[in-house]
Amino acid sequence: MIRLAVRTMILLAAIVVLNFLIPRLLPGDPLDALAAGEHESGLAPLSAAARENLRQFYGLDRDLVGQFTHYLSSLARGDLGWSFAKRQPVRDLLAARLPWTLGLVGAAALSAALLGTALGLAAAWWGGRVDHALVSLASSIEAIPDFLIGIGFLLVFAVGLRWFPLSGGRTAFEAGAPAAIDTLWHLTLPYLALTLSSFAIFLLLTRHSTAETTRAPFVAVARAKGLRPRTVALRHVLPNALPPIANLLALRLGAVLSGAIVIERVYGVPGLGLLAFEAIRERDYPVLQSVFLLTGAAVVLATAAVDAILRAVRPYDAR
Amino acid sequence: MHSLRPALLAVLVTLTACQTPAAPPAPPSATAAVSQPRPVATAVQAERVRLAWADAGVLTPFRVSTAGPGGATLISLVYDTLTWKDETGIIPWLATRWTIGPDATTYTFSIAPNVVWHDGRPLTAADVAFTFDTYRQTPYRWMTTEMVARAEATSPSEVTIILKRPFAAFLEDIAGVAPIIPKHVWESVTDPRTYDGPNATIGSGPFVLAEYRPTEGSYRLTANRRYFRGEVVVGEFQSLNIPTDTRLAALQQGRIDLINSADASIVDILRGDARLAIYESDPLSIVRLAVNTERAPLNRREVRQAIMYAIDRATIAEVVTKGAPVVGSAGVIPPSSPWYNPEVRHYPYDPEAARALLRGEQLTIELLADPSYREPELMAPMLQAVGITLVIKRADSATRTALLREGNFQLAEVQHIGVGGDPDFLRRWYAGEEANDFAQGSIFTNAEFDQLAREAAATVDVQQRRAIVNRIQALLAEELPTIVLYHRRFYWAYDRTVFAPVTTWGGLMNGIPFPHNKLAFLRRG
Repeated sequence: MIRLAVRTMILLAAIVVLNFLIPRLLPGDPLDALAAGEHESGLAPLSAAARENLRQFYGLDRDLVGQFTHYLSSLARGDLGWSFAKRQPVRDLLAARLPWTLGLVGAAALSAALLGTALGLAAAWWGGRVDHALVSLASSIEAIPDFLIGIGFLLVFAVGLRWFPLSGGRTAFEAGAPAAIDTLWHLTLPYLALTLSSFAIFLLLTRHSTAETTRAPFVAVARAKGLRPRTVALRHVLPNALPPIANLLALRLGAVLSGAIVIERVYGVPGLGLLAFEAIRERDYPVLQSVFLLTGAAVVLATAAVDAILRAVRPYDAR
Repeated sequence: MHSLRPALLAVLVTLTACQTPAAPPAPPSATAAVSQPRPVATAVQAERVRLAWADAGVLTPFRVSTAGPGGATLISLVYDTLTWKDETGIIPWLATRWTIGPDATTYTFSIAPNVVWHDGRPLTAADVAFTFDTYRQTPYRWMTTEMVARAEATSPSEVTIILKRPFAAFLEDIAGVAPIIPKHVWESVTDPRTYDGPNATIGSGPFVLAEYRPTEGSYRLTANRRYFRGEVVVGEFQSLNIPTDTRLAALQQGRIDLINSADASIVDILRGDARLAIYESDPLSIVRLAVNTERAPLNRREVRQAIMYAIDRATIAEVVTKGAPVVGSAGVIPPSSPWYNPEVRHYPYDPEAARALLRGEQLTIELLADPSYREPELMAPMLQAVGITLVIKRADSATRTALLREGNFQLAEVQHIGVGGDPDFLRRWYAGEEANDFAQGSIFTNAEFDQLAREAAATVDVQQRRAIVNRIQALLAEELPTIVLYHRRFYWAYDRTVFAPVTTWGGLMNGIPFPHNKLAFLRRG
């Protein structure tokens, strides 16, 4: 357990360093992005003096070591910095975006895991036509890029049938349905698109892991002892097939914090994925650092937690 | 305002640098379904108007986004400027009249009486002086005010602004762009760049910022019922952050009232919808190649001219915009600008002329472009036909700007607005006074141009200045430090029951081809 804790700490330190370096390795700096503009090339006649003023304000006039020590000392104080592009404290930006991402991507990841695992078990257990049909279905869906699923849903259900809104997380400035219902209505399509685009991997992994476990000698022994099929499945097969699925789920849940860049962008959901996408385009170092830090830390901690749980539950394997 | 206007326009004609307020010619219609811009639009009374745009940041002059013209335009609805522009030219706004000192560095403005801030406090000359002093310390990002040496309120209704040097574009580019901010709010603020107090967005404009949702990038502006320039006939103006791909569907479904597109096919798509209309902006957007005139072979004028002859610019414009092409003026300033010189050298599509200039030479030239631009692929075979192999290098906007800033390019395609207003932008590009991406790619050393550009900036007499600007355009057309492919319109689709577009002389403020000039929401006399 100590080794696990040390390893986790080292990984977190590495994430902090990489998060600082990677955005700065991108060509162009935040002021280039500001000058480049968005919808049109930036019209703002940003003068050389104004550029220098901004460079100082954002601390870009310091050398790399100076910027890094400033980043570390700010981080130690819990100060995530000031967004170059949004001109807001990064902490506020993250706090406002996090609920959207946790709600949408978290719910979709859990749904995909449950659905995929259940169907994977069914495929492995029943085999034959059921297995064939489910594996074909999963492979087909897995082959479709998530933006296509998103756009397809959008075209059919929002543009064509008009059952759902076209974009956003809630209706802007209009009194109507209660806020919670309005938000659910807005998030239904992105939720379905995300769930559909990510359940297949759980199905395939569960099916593979379960099928392998089913062929293991201890399962044959359990059957030979005359145990009921259901008991064999739930007591012997599932617990032993679970580790890879739990690890995948941990990775997925950890990555939830990075949002779902494509789906959030297609549907204009103001989550962390959309924020990260915009921050890359805008070379918004403080935002990129913070989103990556949050995501990286979440993945490391989630996998460490799963590791710890599995060691506790199955100490023999851990050795 | 109505009674004041003829007299004030007379003052303008005699005293200002940027007048000759001839209405720009109405752009030709692409189709019969396109509504013609009217000389003076009558504002439509409506409960609300909803614009589809993107997040433009916090609406203070110090925090608003300058990545695109959306922020400055929203700012113009909440704040006011000393001058403004209507369909015909520069008009008085916060300033009812002004005089220019004999050396053209002293501008004295009389401030309109009875103007109040959104919080009810009176707006006086002290606010104006405070604004320009503040911008010297903390610039308004959309427009530099660096040429302002100081500003003094000589009485509650009179302010004198003293420039470091004569600047003919002052009335349009500074007085007509810089938002005036309330002294009583900002004088106690330590750092305006981070100030977030509840009174941070108090302006004097026709709309009050009622709500900004930063997470969603949505704004709700409500009518300022005490507005000094007339009744605001629209109850609310909303700017909603809607992905570009779904804007048209949102308009058709009635979820939005005003959208824009650079693609003319929107005209056909919306044909037959009685509720919706299309407004074609003047072609004040430009698609051009920045040329690094210091790197071979583009340091040779005949190579630049050969490229101009070799490209069928009309076809490219037609294919990309799907509308009637407006071939680029070699003098850069678009034909719909009041400053356009039609007498500059023209370059018809003429591959033979290009071959003659190149004399059989085979060249390879690298072109830097955004991944989304379609022009490079269309240009490549045309240039290949005259012996120029085009190597297309794609990069995102920040990378491209960095390469331009470093001069690490040969040709770079840029698309932008800002060429419809005062022509001083040409001087700023090539004098290195601007840091935006297209200005970064302006590499051109020419003593005659520098001299003319400086003269134009300092000449306030309109006729004299026009003559100089004409010579600048002729010189640019001959030398081609930039190759203008075409001028581009924006197609604004809108719900005619709630909105009527306004065509602003030379574009809104410093050349923004947007139809929601604040005049579009005011009952005019």
